[in-house]
Amino acid sequence: MEFKELDPILHSQLRLAVVSLLISVREAEFTFLKEKTNATAGNLSVQINKLKDAGYLEVIKQFNNNYPQTICKITKKGIDAFEEYVKALQTYMNPNDQQ
Amino acid sequence: MNTQDQNLSPADSLLLINNMINQAKNRFSENGFLYLLWGWLIFFCAIGHFVLIKLDLFKHPEIIWASCWLAVIYQIFYLTKRSKKETVKTYSENIIGFVWMSFGITMGIISFIVGKTNNWELINSLLLMLYGTPTFLSGVVMRFKPLKVGGIICWVLAVVSAYLLPIYVLLLLAVAVIAAWIIPGYILRRKYLLENNAEMKST
Repeated sequence: MEFKELDPILHSQLRLAVVSLLISVREAEFTFLKEKTNATAGNLSVQINKLKDAGYLEVIKQFNNNYPQTICKITKKGIDAFEEYVKALQTYMNPNDQQ
Repeated sequence: MNTQDQNLSPADSLLLINNMINQAKNRFSENGFLYLLWGWLIFFCAIGHFVLIKLDLFKHPEIIWASCWLAVIYQIFYLTKRSKKETVKTYSENIIGFVWMSFGITMGIISFIVGKTNNWELINSLLLMLYGTPTFLSGVVMRFKPLKVGGIICWVLAVVSAYLLPIYVLLLLAVAVIAAWIIPGYILRRKYLLENNAEMKST
């Protein structure tokens, strides 16, 4: 029996929540992610940057009616990492399946 | 929510993923406005056209359909404004948008062919058939039965129209938009208001 290693970038409550939200939509604004995760703006911003640096997210900063707007999208690398993470989780949940 | 991961067990992770996916999935953004706008417009145009032909008041009663251009302009303005307000864009909204865009293009091409070949009597039967496709597909993508039923009713009425005089097909058009857009539009509106009120109360 072998447990797969969990991706440290995703194995964090807020980063995992952000990626899980983005996996089900085409793109989302920072305000949407903040509302759904109940995180503070500062904390969320830091975690989004970590995901972006890992290449899991694409972050677009633009202006909408003179207000700054941050749009986040999951990348192909992010989707692959999420799928790997879920597969790894399954090895912990159903260890017998791995034998 | 914090960033601490030392206490995040595999079960917690799976629960979190499940919760977040459900939160994104359960968002209901369709307020039914465009279904109602086009439903009522086509309804009044079809009935108006029928009445004008019967009363024989104008040489060109079909001019009533020109009002649809005003709705097209308003729709562009409305969708641009709505798109700016939306904080999230889903894959299903994207697919539905392209389905309706294809419908608009197909309608334009059919109108052109019918006009060029002077087969105007066929146009309303073809429109009935065309209304069915985007309505049914939107129902499938949104998992919303009233739209699926509405689409099927349009197809049935398109077949029925082959047995009627062209002037009475205008009445079928009015029945079709009641079934396909007006009734589903009001149901969508009610669902949207209920879910948004519930969301506002929970925050």
